[in-house]
Amino acid sequence: MASWFPNVIHMQSEFAQATWETVYMTLVSAIIAGVLGLATGIFLIASQPGGILEDSFIYGLLDKIVNLLRSIPFIILLAVIAPFTRYLVGTTIGTTAALVPLIIGIFPFYARQIQNALTEIDPGVIEAAQASGSSPTEIIFRVYLREGLPDIIRASILTIISLIGLTTMAGAIGSGGLGDIAISIGYARFENDVTIVAMLIILIMVFIVQFAGDWLAKRLEH
Amino acid sequence: MTENIIDLKKITVEFKDGENQVQAVKNVDLQVEKGDIYGIVGYSGAGKSTLVRVINLLQKPTAGEVHINKQDLLQLKPVELRQARTKIGMIFQHFNLMKSRTILGNVEYPLLKTKLSKSERTKRATELLKLVGLEQRKNDYPRQLSGGQKQRVAIARALANNPDILISDEATSALDPKTTLSILNLLKQLNETLGLTIVLITHEMQAVKEICNHVAVMQKGEIVERGDIEEIFSTPKKKLTQEFINIATNVGPAVEKVTENPSFQQLTQKQQLVQLNFIGQSTEQPIISTLAKQFDVDGNILFANVEQLHEETLGFMILVLTGENQNITKAIQFLKDNQVRVKLLNKVDKKEVQA
Repeated sequence: MASWFPNVIHMQSEFAQATWETVYMTLVSAIIAGVLGLATGIFLIASQPGGILEDSFIYGLLDKIVNLLRSIPFIILLAVIAPFTRYLVGTTIGTTAALVPLIIGIFPFYARQIQNALTEIDPGVIEAAQASGSSPTEIIFRVYLREGLPDIIRASILTIISLIGLTTMAGAIGSGGLGDIAISIGYARFENDVTIVAMLIILIMVFIVQFAGDWLAKRLEH
Repeated sequence: MTENIIDLKKITVEFKDGENQVQAVKNVDLQVEKGDIYGIVGYSGAGKSTLVRVINLLQKPTAGEVHINKQDLLQLKPVELRQARTKIGMIFQHFNLMKSRTILGNVEYPLLKTKLSKSERTKRATELLKLVGLEQRKNDYPRQLSGGQKQRVAIARALANNPDILISDEATSALDPKTTLSILNLLKQLNETLGLTIVLITHEMQAVKEICNHVAVMQKGEIVERGDIEEIFSTPKKKLTQEFINIATNVGPAVEKVTENPSFQQLTQKQQLVQLNFIGQSTEQPIISTLAKQFDVDGNILFANVEQLHEETLGFMILVLTGENQNITKAIQFLKDNQVRVKLLNKVDKKEVQA
């Protein structure tokens, strides 16, 4: 062990800490960006031309915001919104500060994924619900979110996996977590084993998310 | 006179198709009596789907008035409109069931917005499934059912809130002939037992023939002909109507086959190829044998079909009359005198001889 991982062996508590930080950043930003993205995705679907609450102004606005935010490379977004982050959190360093760019970076991506997932739902089913007297809110909760659930879960897996990737990039500006260790220790000090172990832990996380998500999506499909 | 449960006045529906303004429905009036089964026939693109969607305002008309059950739907607030829609059931060509819900769940769906408790909803949905003969399958999912079964579930769902009206939008078009018939019979039965008013749109006159009392024929956004079913079938005025009826009664294909057959294109001077349409009483008389006895004209039957429409019987026949020219003329006059519509087929222009 010691010869294969000369540095990691002395850094076990740091790795445990970093793993926790990555999990924390992923989870918290997934929850907040999840709510934001889901809401945005639903508004996009509802306000789109021919949608249940057709509104070309809202649709155009949301569509442009989503496109704009998705076009900014994450590493630049990190730097650009640093003042905003400092204003919100008081600092730009650490896991909590990293949540701000993570949420802003990922929610438009998730919103688009949700929009795509809900677009797959047969418009005829929506029409049948309207014909039976359902209100737009009822259609959103009882038809869209229910019929689209397996695809929503798949979109969520994809988003969480991307999010894990983004947390490591946030490591570049001192967010903490596995990305931070891999860059600031493994890469900067030429301690390759640190980088490799950080990568392995991240791969394991990704596999777990993928596996659990696939299982859930399959179970919900009839 | 029975009241009109559906009363559409001067309905126009326009769509923007890119730069073009398309009129899908043009100034159409439609009245349907309570308890009636009303068929709307037309080829795809005729505007019939758009027109029936005006009945429950899934399609807002550009102009016109929509009175359903004495309510002016266009004046209703959204919440009132949704309430009104619960009384207008609708079934679709592709069933439109939710795949994430069980059969029971699908039928319960329209009841979710009512005040019924969970157990009351289940009870009502189970009753409805019994009515359409599918209570055994209530815990299955739609993908486990055949097309006909899915349409039965959709019918049960449409009936959940005891509607007065059922709109059927090409509901049998994706089904095989046997299943189509069973669905049509179910609709007929619901019409009789529940007093349900049914508006059935289809491109198959065959379906209309089975159950409708009235029919309207649509073309390019307009109703070109309408009337009760016997009248339309026996004396169609428009070419399009004729076309639909010929397909439904198999007369069209038969005429085509006969007239294209070389042996019938070279008939002798003493032969005449005719198509006869019998209505009501004339179907009950031994007309062909009368031709032979009285006019010395032999009839060789190439095609014959009898359709039963409610109380009325319609007969269709293609035959070759053989005899002296003047006798044939007399025979044809005799047929016309007996309310038989006669169409001469071996004239070059195949023009109908006016009665």
